Amino acid sequence: MGKSLEGVLRSLQKKMKRAVSPSPPFRDLFNKFREVLASHNKAVEMIADMGEKLSGEYLFDTNYIENAYAELSTAVWDSIKSFDSFTRSKYPNLMDAFIRIDNRISDMLSNSASTSGEVIVFREDTLWDMYYEVGGKNAGLAEVANILKLDVPESFFITTLAFDEFIAFNGLRERAGALMKTDSVSENDFAVLRNAIIGSKIPPSLDEVFDKAIKKMRTKCGALCSVAVRSSAEEEDGRLSFAGQFDTVLNVPLESRAIKEAYKKVVASLFSLHSIAYQRRFRYDAGKMKMAVGCVAMVDAVSSGVVYSVDPSGKKENTLISANWGLGKTVVDGLVEADIYRVKKGQVPQILGTRCGKKETMTVVLPDGGVDSIHTPSDLRGRQVLDPDAIVELTMMAQSLEKHFRTPQDIEWAIDRNGRIFILQSRELRLGEDERHKCASVLKSLVSKPVLIRNKGIAVQKGIGSGTVFIVKTPEDIKDVPKGAILVSKRDFSVFVRLMNDVSAIITDIGTPTSHMASLSREFRIPTIVNTDDATQILRNGMGITVSINDEGSTVYEGLIDDLQGCSDENAASVTEGHEYLRKRYVLRHISPLNLIEPLHDKFQPEECKTMHDILRFIHEKSIMELVDCARHQKASLRGYTAVALDLPIPASIVLIDMGGGLEKVRSNTKNDAKKTATAVEIASIPLKAILGGMIYPGAWHNEAVPLRMKDFFMSMTRMPDIHSVSMSSPIQNVAVASREYVNLSLKFGYHFNIVDCYCSENPRNNHVYFRFSGGATDLVQRSRRVQFIASILKEHGFTIWTTGDLLIARLANVGRVRMEEVLDQLGRLIAFVRKLDALLRDDTAIAYYAQRFKEGNYELMEGGGKG
Amino acid sequence: MSNKIMVVDDEKIVVDMAKMALEHDGYVVETFLSGESALARLKEETFDVVVTDFKMKGIDGMEVLRTVKEQYPKTKVIMITAFANLDTAIEALRGDVFDFFPKPVKIKELKASIERALEK
Repeated sequence: MGKSLEGVLRSLQKKMKRAVSPSPPFRDLFNKFREVLASHNKAVEMIADMGEKLSGEYLFDTNYIENAYAELSTAVWDSIKSFDSFTRSKYPNLMDAFIRIDNRISDMLSNSASTSGEVIVFREDTLWDMYYEVGGKNAGLAEVANILKLDVPESFFITTLAFDEFIAFNGLRERAGALMKTDSVSENDFAVLRNAIIGSKIPPSLDEVFDKAIKKMRTKCGALCSVAVRSSAEEEDGRLSFAGQFDTVLNVPLESRAIKEAYKKVVASLFSLHSIAYQRRFRYDAGKMKMAVGCVAMVDAVSSGVVYSVDPSGKKENTLISANWGLGKTVVDGLVEADIYRVKKGQVPQILGTRCGKKETMTVVLPDGGVDSIHTPSDLRGRQVLDPDAIVELTMMAQSLEKHFRTPQDIEWAIDRNGRIFILQSRELRLGEDERHKCASVLKSLVSKPVLIRNKGIAVQKGIGSGTVFIVKTPEDIKDVPKGAILVSKRDFSVFVRLMNDVSAIITDIGTPTSHMASLSREFRIPTIVNTDDATQILRNGMGITVSINDEGSTVYEGLIDDLQGCSDENAASVTEGHEYLRKRYVLRHISPLNLIEPLHDKFQPEECKTMHDILRFIHEKSIMELVDCARHQKASLRGYTAVALDLPIPASIVLIDMGGGLEKVRSNTKNDAKKTATAVEIASIPLKAILGGMIYPGAWHNEAVPLRMKDFFMSMTRMPDIHSVSMSSPIQNVAVASREYVNLSLKFGYHFNIVDCYCSENPRNNHVYFRFSGGATDLVQRSRRVQFIASILKEHGFTIWTTGDLLIARLANVGRVRMEEVLDQLGRLIAFVRKLDALLRDDTAIAYYAQRFKEGNYELMEGGGKG
Repeated sequence: MSNKIMVVDDEKIVVDMAKMALEHDGYVVETFLSGESALARLKEETFDVVVTDFKMKGIDGMEVLRTVKEQYPKTKVIMITAFANLDTAIEALRGDVFDFFPKPVKIKELKASIERALEK
């Protein structure tokens, strides 16, 4: 949907805003609700289909994406129209959100990605979808600061637009293009190009903006502040890490000349043999990549390092932290044996193990700019870098970053002299799989071979590699490494990337599992062990060896295996890592992810919708709420329908309003109709029957009084929450609005309130149940315990749950009729059972106690339950 | 000796994905963004299978198919197209295409088809 349509949409929007009509009859509303559901489901199915086609399992082209999106856009628009009609234009801003997202996607599809037009953007002004302009690394850093509110140094980003201007002004694109067409380009050729870039001029159009930004930065972090000038190439730190491929210039004074020189140096690093080798593996048009650059205030770091939110060589519930004194360069470059901490994640992280590294060197800032590597003072060498509080805090941060970005994270951090932890980078962590199942026969043949090294060092990437040893002493040696060799080195170097398509395994004496090279090994799936201490001493050049790394440990065997029988096939790049694929797939970033999750959160607003899925989520949630509100607030308008009191074996005082098909026999609601009640067997509504079946299940409903303690009694007298006022003023205390496949049930028992909204049909896609529970007579602690109890039961049945205090919202959708009826039966039992339970939940242990009993079908209430 | 596959499509994403997927299975893959460059390469090198797009500017998939059938009869041709309809399918089948897929095509199915083509 292009921009030309925007005017039409806006005029429609205005028209809809004006057309506020009186409340339509409930049946019409219900029919409209069903229309909303139908259009919503259609759009959600389309998103799922696009996700599948763009999953990497299909060859697709631009034509497919354009057509699929055009259909989706129409479906979402149809859904908005139905929703607007249903809610009588209550949420006009939803259309604005749609137009905004639709424009962004349309621009992406027409390759005219809209930008802010800025050459420099400050971190706080960087929006989540500006990754094309500021590069993936900078965009991620801004998200960490702006959304997660974690500490990130002050920073500004020089955009890809500035890069384009700089490159064009100096005629560098043509020069780079010509070089890339050369058959045998050497590192020397690249060095000539890099020098040309470093010697180029910053165009006058950028000069002034740079100076203005530097001035602003000085006001933010002080005149003496210095910055790290870092690469943030397009898509860097997206799915691909580009770890260590480009230059970073540390500790650059906030002065115009110094910043510009550093900028050019970082841009020049796009062109090197190792960077181009990396780009080619992932099918980049080498030489055409654009680079944004970040200027990030230096942290006066006492210590720095890396956290992996998942331990790549251990259990997934553990994090792995590497740390050294000073700046993090020694850790990410694998220059030292750093401290290693393994921590079990959780609400209270638990430190599982600490390995105090030798930390022979550390990187420090120099007073006049730049950094230096020094021998670590002897009093620091043997000392543990992190105290338990810092370890726990770093783990908590890693957990929240992992949760936010929804993938394991590789995080760079620094702690300043005040003990404040700064996040310097957070990117996706790639994890290797244990391939033992594919390699059983190879592993068997290894058993008889002599073991040279066993379980020394840290496994970085699992797998099996066999080849002859080549010991690399300096980075220059890598030009002589033969194809298929096992690369053995004193330390790790990110320039090893040039060899990663060719070597069979990598082993180093020192290094960390969190270094740039380690990231690259995982990306290239090269079996790798670091920090073995003395591999270069044990292994000799030309020696035939086999390296085997799996969940059980790492072993280096003497001797070669000629046929790895597919164990090493995985080294090839996978389809989903290709640059063009990732680029095309970016459109999904604005379609599939769900950001609106918590319906009671302040940000559950149309303005906060970032994706088409968010819009659909908003529509679904608010549609249900609209129906719930109708049943709660517009009961007078229901008079025209058949209404009967339900005659149940429990005193639930429910009146059923039959919208058609809710009762077995159609009743007229006239004065002549003598019978105004219906029994449970006369109910035809599928969901209502199931819920009531649960509520009247023998033992679930308790008539006997549960003793209230004195404070609870006073609490019940003083509490009059607003949720009760409506039902209390209504002549109908409990009401069920039902048709054959739908029920909206509002139940007030004592001081708490239940709302169930459920659609249960033969089509699982249409089915949903929404349950809201709140209130109670006891104090907030016990009421909250009851909510936790309900949550623990409903979770087992697959509900998505949101709780705060004594309020619970639970949702379940897309389940078949039979399963839904089972769930509703359990929900009915739960509604009955918890009526008085809060009074008995005197401590937290009682929650698990009653939960266990409930799951066993034991509904007896015991005074003092959970004790002992 | 690995089998050689040629992939021709005027969209980079298609040839890139095909190359990465097929190299993963051990094939030697060369890619071309036009019919012209593909036919030029065929004069120099023999390929076991050619996977070509149907609709391309200049020399299209049908012309690639005809040329291969006339000059390199041992090479099998698999056609993929974004504009799948009965007419294009019939046209391709008359040209003795080995297999014909509408886009998006499941990579697994394309690989299975290549395997069958290599068996014949």
